[in-house]
Amino acid sequence: MTVTSVLRSEWAKVHTVHAPLISLACVLLTTVGISALACATYSPDDAADDFDPVFYSFFGLSFGQLAALCFGVLVVTGEYKGGALSISLAAVPRRGLLYGCKLAVIGGLGLTVGLVTGFASFLGGQALLGDRGVGLGEEGALRAALGCGLYLGLIAVLAAGVATLLRGPVAALGLLIPVLTFVQPVLGATSAVYDVTRFLPDAAGQSILHATPEQGLGPWTGLAVLALWTAALAVAGWSALERRDA
Amino acid sequence: MTSIDVRELRKTYGSVRAVDGVTCTVEPGRVTGFLGPNGAGKSSTMRIALGLDRPTAGRVTIGGRPYRAATRPLRLVGALLDAGAASGARTAQDHLRCLAYSNDLPLGRVAAVLAETGLETVARRRVGTFSLGMRQRLGVAAALLGDPPVLMLDEPTNGLDPEGIIWIRDLMRQLAAEGRTVLVSSHLMSETARTADHLIVLGRGRLLADTSMAAFIAEHSSSRVWLRTTEPERLRDLLTAAGLAGSPNGDGRWQVDGASAAQIGALAAAQGLPLLELTDDQASLEEAYLKLTASATEYASAPAAAKGT
Repeated sequence: MTVTSVLRSEWAKVHTVHAPLISLACVLLTTVGISALACATYSPDDAADDFDPVFYSFFGLSFGQLAALCFGVLVVTGEYKGGALSISLAAVPRRGLLYGCKLAVIGGLGLTVGLVTGFASFLGGQALLGDRGVGLGEEGALRAALGCGLYLGLIAVLAAGVATLLRGPVAALGLLIPVLTFVQPVLGATSAVYDVTRFLPDAAGQSILHATPEQGLGPWTGLAVLALWTAALAVAGWSALERRDA
Repeated sequence: MTSIDVRELRKTYGSVRAVDGVTCTVEPGRVTGFLGPNGAGKSSTMRIALGLDRPTAGRVTIGGRPYRAATRPLRLVGALLDAGAASGARTAQDHLRCLAYSNDLPLGRVAAVLAETGLETVARRRVGTFSLGMRQRLGVAAALLGDPPVLMLDEPTNGLDPEGIIWIRDLMRQLAAEGRTVLVSSHLMSETARTADHLIVLGRGRLLADTSMAAFIAEHSSSRVWLRTTEPERLRDLLTAAGLAGSPNGDGRWQVDGASAAQIGALAAAQGLPLLELTDDQASLEEAYLKLTASATEYASAPAAAKGT
């Protein structure tokens, strides 16, 4: 029972079931599609002075990240359904090994699809923006495209950690979707609250999508904050899995 | 050989003592029936043995080591715990492949166990479309995947048709004959009586019996003789003289408790009493089991009530 064999088994578990693959496809299609729509309908007349064409081409990420959350949650909760976890743990009794390999597969797939999504979103969006569009050589552009991949990979792992902690898809998504999609945009409007909400996983992680983040955390600092959230929730899930009766 | 050793095992869920100080050994080369009413601690014991649940105290080792220490656990123990457990979204073949990968088992084993359990034709169907009997066969296939020396089967006959029950019975006997350790829990007494050589009986988390099937039945059932005679009046006198009590049951048969056919036969012959029928009543496992667990329930409830729990 080596890391390689457990990784292979976890990979097989993901790609032999449709639901996680569909959610991964949704990450790509939703993000790229909605970003393209936003860029295609962008009117230079209502351009603000601080218009950030790089960030604008990731407009769809807020929607696409929901699919990434679903992906992370579904891979984990598929195993909690009907006691399938007993079978997995009987085959791999070292729980840390099983969990680590599962997160690695989730993170790896999230990152890969995220990178494709990042570059497709950026290049498609910039092309549609016409003369307002910029190239990959623009300051922060390459960083944003790579950052989109890292962001989606981290979000998927974060969701997997929460799902392990809560064990059910309804509880996990019921917590993740409101917190990661509504808290910051709704509450962050006032600057006092913004000082706090900019440290939320989504707000912090999305700093890397800006060409020049004038407010919020810096691009890499923001991503590091998201990585800390992800690490903390992944560890919380692991400790729950170790402690609990399966 | 690989035995399962349960030592001073204790498991509490909240205030419920699921397993309460059980010590026993499951030996290789025979089928050990694991009996007990619902909630007696059978499944808990098996789950602890597989490292799925943590014991409150005590331990279970397999071949002298805890299950978690096994390098390739599926090659050590094959377990069937819950027929519905395989993810319904995967095909039977993919389910077994995922397991095979994790323990570095050759993929040829997947085809082999699918053939052995009669699932070849449905190997590419999603498990969600399976009947309970087919899921049970898939669970057995997963248990056999690593060709393990130890098998733990929790209620394997659940949902199986008569043909399937005969199949699993023969399979368990064959696995034991190959020298493997086979522990099978069941609440079907007639089924266990036909399969098991040895019995471990739990009641309220305690070990009630750990003995051979024959000894268990002999110990926990009363002897009884059925007979018919043409001269019931003489029979009654004869039995009274011998200190036995017989009672007619209406259709001309007499039941004599606490006696054997050999004893009554000799007695009747000595007195020239004609007998039309004389049979030792074969006590069933079910009868012996119910007698044992009924008394255990009485025994177990008294101290619990005294403590006010």
